[in-house]
Amino acid sequence: MKYPELLKMVTTLDKIFEIIRGNANEKELAWLEEKTQNAKSTQLAFVATPRFIGKRPISFELANNQTKNWTLDRLVRVYLLLKLENINPEGFEEQVNTLFDTAEINESIALYSALPLFQQPEKWLLRATDAVRSNIGDIFDSIAFENDYPVKHFSELAWNQLVLKCIFNEKPIHQIVGLDSRANQHLADTLSDFAHERWVADRRIPAQVWRLVTNFLTEIIVKDLESLFLSNDLQNQIATTLVCSQTNNLEAKDLLNKYPISINPEMLTWEYLENQSAICYV
Amino acid sequence: MCLNHDEIKQNPSHFEESQANIVSSNTEFSNYKDLIAGMKFFDPHIHMTSRTTDDYQALADAGVVAIIEPAFWLGQPRTGLATFKDYYSSLVGWERFRSSQFGIKHYCTIGLNSREANNEALAEQVMEILPLYLMKEGVVGVGEIGFDDQTAAEEKYYRLQLELAKEMNLPVQVHTPHRDKKKGTERSMSIALEHGIDPKMVIIDHNNEETVKSVLDQGFYAAFTIYPFTKMGNERMVEVVKQYGSERIMINSAADWGISDPLAIPKTAALMKIKGIADEDIRLVTYQNAIDAFAQSGQINVTDFEEPVVIDQTQKFNGNTILRGGQQPRIDKDAIVIR
Repeated sequence: MKYPELLKMVTTLDKIFEIIRGNANEKELAWLEEKTQNAKSTQLAFVATPRFIGKRPISFELANNQTKNWTLDRLVRVYLLLKLENINPEGFEEQVNTLFDTAEINESIALYSALPLFQQPEKWLLRATDAVRSNIGDIFDSIAFENDYPVKHFSELAWNQLVLKCIFNEKPIHQIVGLDSRANQHLADTLSDFAHERWVADRRIPAQVWRLVTNFLTEIIVKDLESLFLSNDLQNQIATTLVCSQTNNLEAKDLLNKYPISINPEMLTWEYLENQSAICYV
Repeated sequence: MCLNHDEIKQNPSHFEESQANIVSSNTEFSNYKDLIAGMKFFDPHIHMTSRTTDDYQALADAGVVAIIEPAFWLGQPRTGLATFKDYYSSLVGWERFRSSQFGIKHYCTIGLNSREANNEALAEQVMEILPLYLMKEGVVGVGEIGFDDQTAAEEKYYRLQLELAKEMNLPVQVHTPHRDKKKGTERSMSIALEHGIDPKMVIIDHNNEETVKSVLDQGFYAAFTIYPFTKMGNERMVEVVKQYGSERIMINSAADWGISDPLAIPKTAALMKIKGIADEDIRLVTYQNAIDAFAQSGQINVTDFEEPVVIDQTQKFNGNTILRGGQQPRIDKDAIVIR
């Protein structure tokens, strides 16, 4: 293992252990100490964690100043996985694959939460996209939200699938790490198609998803924006006003003059739509 | 596990002669649910894998707040370890999730069932992976295990799994055989005692009038499966409770791929009410005793299902997922128009 990789591992592991130490009681810490002596017992400890570690909610920061609100058992499980990588680098992959294959829901959540912290995260791409295929809400959420694995390692195809599935299942896309940075033409075109399908079925899509088309406007999407302006729906109008004022597309910019909306400027933000989405999803 | 129709013919209900003694009167209520409004039920034996989503809806509507799904024989024999593994994973994964969509807390017991214990080459491999599953969150016991044909292989794996349960301090859910039931039940109990297991940690399942006394006398929990044709009818169950009281007795539906009824518990509670069984006794046999027995695993936290689930349509947006902790949208089943 190269020195910088080793350093990354040690520091993350130490950092997590410090957070655990600040939140666990003596009995829990003693259990953790006892179980992390060898690879086999560390692997089994991952499975048994909730029998010995409490589910108290904890709040912490690991990197990027991103606050995570987890339960203690989830963080302990992530710690155990990183510890396993530390003490058994050769057998690590096999042990983790066994854990994936036999995981119950909370184990799966911990596994997907740990992926971005592994030494060779790219090796686990197929597992990560499996989480996107899951219909179990919490498992899907563990890769989709507040997890920087997808933005760093997903192909465009996998990324678009993640975003589309979020929209289709009426989940809050703004919690996807790097949402705007990975917007692309294919995604914008597919969103437009998706909107047409919804409209013909007399259904709607959340207004905030239009943020994804801002830099990828086509003739068809500009038409979509115009029909959103005409939709008599304030949230749609806010979304299209935001898109048209943030894009470089001149045709779209013209729509701003054609359909001016008078509104409290505080409401003219994507954040406002994120919080209002309940009304729009119905 | 239920019997196929040939087996029913070969094994006519033992109780057919005594049917006449049971007074069935005044049970024609237009809606039995009125009788049990506000009551909570715990079904400690139900095979939801074999049931449809409509059944989950019906369970929730009838007041069933938590269930235990024991690992069992799926009807089609398994030929490899991977299918066992995937089945166990589904009990702690997909099925648990499916249940949560209806606000029902799902637990399971994990074990190698008696029929498939007879495939020894495979049974050996299954035993290897069992500890991994038994340690998992929400696994409340080893089950359902015990005897079917009462072969030597069945005994071997019953004993091995009793040892596992002892080692991991987990309750045991014991399936008793359809054929030669009385002897099979006695044998199951004496083997458990021989292994030094506290009878309070053992739930002897599928009891009837012939087996119950010995089970209770020896200190075991006695479970009754309300299941048409092959197991207990609920009128008989009422009589059992009248005779033996409610201590260490619990009822379940064992609903599976056979002709069975997932609402057996709420229906039996209603019948008990009609027949004058005290509310507290009904609560014990349809809810509390099962919790007491399986909570010995340390894996049941009653606040998970006793605190009312708030169904707030806005929750799904703030809380990341449409499906978390809440309920599926309702549809009108009688409507011709589907939107």
